[in-house]
Amino acid sequence: MLSIFKSIPTHMDYKGQKLAEQIFQGIILVSALVGFIYGLIIEQFGWTVYIVLGGFAISCLLTLPPWPMYRRHPLAWQPVVPESQGDVRDKPQENVKKPRKHK
Amino acid sequence: MNTVLSRANSLFAFSLSVMAALTFGCFITTAFKERSVPVHIRVSKVLLKNVDDFTGPRERSDLGIINFDISADILHSPIFDWNVKQLFLYLSAEYTTKSNALNQVVLWDKIVLRGEKTTISLKDIKSKYFFFDDGNGLRANKNVTLTLSWNVVPNAGILPLITGSGHMSLPFPDTYETPKSY
Repeated sequence: MLSIFKSIPTHMDYKGQKLAEQIFQGIILVSALVGFIYGLIIEQFGWTVYIVLGGFAISCLLTLPPWPMYRRHPLAWQPVVPESQGDVRDKPQENVKKPRKHK
Repeated sequence: MNTVLSRANSLFAFSLSVMAALTFGCFITTAFKERSVPVHIRVSKVLLKNVDDFTGPRERSDLGIINFDISADILHSPIFDWNVKQLFLYLSAEYTTKSNALNQVVLWDKIVLRGEKTTISLKDIKSKYFFFDDGNGLRANKNVTLTLSWNVVPNAGILPLITGSGHMSLPFPDTYETPKSY
């Protein structure tokens, strides 16, 4: 059953990862600030925790699944070179021994 | 951050750090405030006995039986704020005898949770715990002082111990088994 989960693609490209990180950090910090001020005003710390948990849930929804906005800058790989017989290989490393200087 | 698990790990760790910072903020906003309130204690009756005390080293010790009233307004700030979970109140008696310079005995206590709408306005309560003296120092004692103190159990931070302002001092009777009313 685990193979089903492993076959769902969840990757993002690099710019998408940076965007996702900025998004969740921003959402959680904003919800922390709002929650702190609200809890201070109504004198209940429980509400601060609820608001931060709400921010956590929103950012889970926005950043955990690989939405298309995180895949807008895919890496430009080189095109696939078809393999043929008698490939041109690299020059083998020459075993060059440096001449020793006799003192 | 390439897989879901890696992103979830990052997200969860960040949330927990932010939560820890908020808890510290909650502590800091209430750490330095003045928490003492005026308390009114009245004693209605004192009875002194000389009985066998099996917990002490000698045969008979003085036992005081006190009925008292307490009133204190604890419902709002400065006592209950967003960093208080519950209060542990206790009434203690303090006096000096020939053998000991300072004696402190807890006579009664109560736990008050935040959100319970109880004001402390109790009349004619008996002490919960035995008021035994270490010897026979209660008879004809000139000055026994009753004070109400409380321990604040917070949501985050240290537990302050506050004494209410206002105490009641009274002399104890000279003889055993004769109730003295005030």
